[in-house]
Amino acid sequence: MNEVNTKHVYPEDPSKTYGLMELVKGTKPTVGLQPDDMVFTWPHLLVRELTLFVVVVAVLLVLAFLFNAPLEELANPNHPPNPAKAPWYFLGLQELVSYSAVIGGVMIPTLIVLGLALVPFVDRKRTGIGVWFAKERSLANGLFLTFLILMLVLIIVGMFFRGPNWGFVIPWESAQ
Amino acid sequence: MNDSTQNARPAPRNRLAEFGNHIYRSLFRYGRVPQDAEGQSYAVFNSLFLHIHPVKVSRHSLRFGYTLGLGVIATALFLVLTFTGIWLMFYYFPSASEAYNRMLDLRSAVDFGFVLRNVHKWGAELMVLVVILHMARVFFTGAYKPPREFNWLVGILLLLLTLGLSFTGYLLPWDQLAFWAITVGTSIAGYAPVLGPPLRRFLLGGDVVGQEALVRFYVLHVVILPGLLSIFLAVHFWRIRKDGGLSHPDDNDIPPKGGGR
Ligand code: HEM
Repeated sequence: MNEVNTKHVYPEDPSKTYGLMELVKGTKPTVGLQPDDMVFTWPHLLVRELTLFVVVVAVLLVLAFLFNAPLEELANPNHPPNPAKAPWYFLGLQELVSYSAVIGGVMIPTLIVLGLALVPFVDRKRTGIGVWFAKERSLANGLFLTFLILMLVLIIVGMFFRGPNWGFVIPWESAQ
Repeated sequence: MNDSTQNARPAPRNRLAEFGNHIYRSLFRYGRVPQDAEGQSYAVFNSLFLHIHPVKVSRHSLRFGYTLGLGVIATALFLVLTFTGIWLMFYYFPSASEAYNRMLDLRSAVDFGFVLRNVHKWGAELMVLVVILHMARVFFTGAYKPPREFNWLVGILLLLLTLGLSFTGYLLPWDQLAFWAITVGTSIAGYAPVLGPPLRRFLLGGDVVGQEALVRFYVLHVVILPGLLSIFLAVHFWRIRKDGGLSHPDDNDIPPKGGGR
């Protein structure tokens, strides 16, 4: 059993009385918490959730009035645009596919999904939880950040630097 | 309350007030805004919609700087998308000859149709982005570590479903952008050895993007994928509660093989 730090569990607040209500076996994170670390969901959490919801709706309405969703000509199977581009989140894959269909289009995406799924089972150290960019986790965080940046670069290349026949273009020079 | 309980037959005005009060109480059993601990507890666990929350949460998990609110924002976006999506279904028709006209109607003939479509479209783009950022938040705070390994897996499923929803929705306007993006996207699937071509044919209902593909994408987009996403979202939230709320620095070094999870 872990030692119980009573000073930690019972903070010195003379205006309150504390009693031992229950002995709990287990490793739930609430075990070590000071009683005063917990606050009521109503109103503390719910007010925050509702606020975020209202902000999301407001932002979407502003975007909707300012920018129209794109709508091009009616689909025409006989007139492929050149280049035809996938939605932005698949542009990284499309860029990889342009190097190798099987490696870029099949193997790498499969590896990405498998790799993501295995993360908690490969990185098994139980440290650095609950804070951003914990020092103990700099290797894992560094690797993941590299992965995210790589994906972002591929997407940006696919989005702006690819022209007809997926050839390389410089966006600010090709603009007539 | 005071005089109406004393008089045998309260004045009509009071009777009306009492009637209203009765209805109000049946809807909101615990008064107006709960002020004390008991009322605050009841407010949560007596409501179907609130009881996915615990009665109490840690201050740490409320810090905006910790979660950046990303999971909640993703949930809010999903709710808005469900609402506007159902609304769009009243106008949309999954037919290769009609779909595009319906898009034009939304711009000109339907009151505020352009707002409806724009909210749905920008909401969808934002949701993909926000879900990816939420995953990054979870990673950079080490929140996938025990006991939350399983919820990380559920999360990946949610990410795939989100991408699937966005991708299937992309075809529905049936314009050049939609048609060719899906042609490119599904041809990527076709590159997979053995499984690729049959998967592609299954998705498209044929060898090219056409009417069959439109119906399949429509059904996936409005029924199957949102249904699956809702189910796994419920699992996701359930796991957050079972894992003892959000990750917390106190979770460090908890012994492996913790009690019955
Ligand atoms: C539709 C997509 C998703 C929605 C709506 C969603 C929603 C949420 C919400 C509301 C929370 C509570 C904390 C917060 O707001 O940050 C949460 C936590 C969590 N999510 Fe997600 N999520 C989604 C996708 C994902 C993905 C893609 C992953 C990871 C691959 C993931 C992994 C987790 C984990 C591990 C937690 C617990 C975090 C902690 O304890 O600090 N979720 N999610």
